[in-house]
Amino acid sequence: MSKLHSLQEAVALIEEGQMIGLGGNSLSRSPSAFVRELVRQEKRGLCLVKTAGAYDIDLLCAAGAAAEVRSGYIGYENLFGMAHSYRQGVEDKTVRAVEHVCYTVIAGLRASAYGLPSQPVAGMEGSDTPALTGFRQAEDPYTGKKVYMIPRIRPNWAVLHVQHADAMGNARIDGGTFEDVLMSRAAEAVILTAERVVETDFFEEKPERTNIPAFMVRAVVHVPGGAAPVSCFPLYDTDEDSIARFLGCAGDFELLQGHLKEWEMRDRVMVEKR
Amino acid sequence: MAQGTTSDADSARTKADQMAVCLARELRDGERVFHGVNSPLPMVAIFMAKKLHAPRAVLIEVAGSVDPKPDRLPFSTNGPALCQGAAAIFSNADAYDLFARGGIDLMFLGGAQIDKAGRVNMSYIGNPSEPKVRLPGGGGGSVVMEQAWRVVVWRAAHDPRTFVPKVDFVTQTGNLRRVVTPLAVFAMGTGGLELESVHPGGLVEEVAAQTGFPLNLMRGIHETPPPTREELAVLAEVDPEGVRYSEFSELRQVMR
Repeated sequence: MSKLHSLQEAVALIEEGQMIGLGGNSLSRSPSAFVRELVRQEKRGLCLVKTAGAYDIDLLCAAGAAAEVRSGYIGYENLFGMAHSYRQGVEDKTVRAVEHVCYTVIAGLRASAYGLPSQPVAGMEGSDTPALTGFRQAEDPYTGKKVYMIPRIRPNWAVLHVQHADAMGNARIDGGTFEDVLMSRAAEAVILTAERVVETDFFEEKPERTNIPAFMVRAVVHVPGGAAPVSCFPLYDTDEDSIARFLGCAGDFELLQGHLKEWEMRDRVMVEKR
Repeated sequence: MAQGTTSDADSARTKADQMAVCLARELRDGERVFHGVNSPLPMVAIFMAKKLHAPRAVLIEVAGSVDPKPDRLPFSTNGPALCQGAAAIFSNADAYDLFARGGIDLMFLGGAQIDKAGRVNMSYIGNPSEPKVRLPGGGGGSVVMEQAWRVVVWRAAHDPRTFVPKVDFVTQTGNLRRVVTPLAVFAMGTGGLELESVHPGGLVEEVAAQTGFPLNLMRGIHETPPPTREELAVLAEVDPEGVRYSEFSELRQVMR
């Protein structure tokens, strides 16, 4: 039973106001093509979850698609600096920033993956973050030690860009896995975009290398280059010129439309079904 | 004018090299060390230290690997090159768990605002409910700063906007030992941050004027040992493209 879809079909599954966990980290292996299609389809009110985001979160803020961002870090790195549209959205209060630590995003996702309402996490003494975000402490029943309990984060979708998938949704990630595997367990359903769509025997030969089994996955989209302009190990590095051009679009609707148009052909190139 | 620009760039390069060397000297042989995203100077410093005095140090990469052997150091400090040649993938969640059980010796953290008490702000300038600036956030800092056995903070700027009497928001606080800047090194003592050394060519009074909290200038403040010839040679070898310079606005234009 093939779950292969066009990018447009897969993005059409996302409903207004839903919570999406985005795979990858910072300038690595983000589901960039999927995010651009979210903007083309004019999705609104999305709640985004990611430990450390950059282009993906910034683009959704620039387009007015993001209502809330739960993260530990949003920014490009030194060469590009701050995520301007995210920053502007938070300062203008069109985007709600829920102050997290990377580890509290992980803890919230773990609560969901473990089937629990919350998850204890070590640390955060002396930080203003718990008071601002509303993290509460509980007492460990055995030692009396106070620990912060992070409420469960259960995204409607985990959207992950992977190097290898089959048509059923088995997936293998090369290089850093970041929070992708955890997100696949924490979310209600998974959508994959994949550099390569392979036969299932690719996975059967080394099942221990399958990061996500097919039964968890709702849709698979074949998008070679789907993380660009951010990197995808070991296939391509960050396209710094494209990032710089995108940053020049901040606050300009026409330029942003141009950016989406520029990538549209590449994003939607694969439409094959099996 | 052109003359001035060139010497500004040279001066920024000298400061970046001094900072990289100061950070490298913090790593001891055999230790486990971690750096986060957006951390070019610590990344370069760690690779440098491993070639000098800390060959058995273990680098846990935010890119999700252990002891990678990249062909070239990337500008993004969680770039895919930092998985190259690694014998093990170790996810971010694994790394944070390792911090939580006390398994990381040294962590390098950045800071937009730093105060006398060694508290670090990476979240908001102004009141968080009416922010003047939304900063990127502290990443893992709020938990790891108290979990790493030693924390060294670096900042590629030294001015009263950065070194403030009291941070607007405490993103993170904890086991801070030193702060390394383009001008000086602060050490954490019982009374808070104090000036430990001033980089060659600098004056204590200049550093004090660029620091927004009071310093005890009566204590013994020495000159930071300048980079040795060997340190500079290894620095050039591990970072021929000058990734370390990307933290300095004076040099960023030249690089892109």
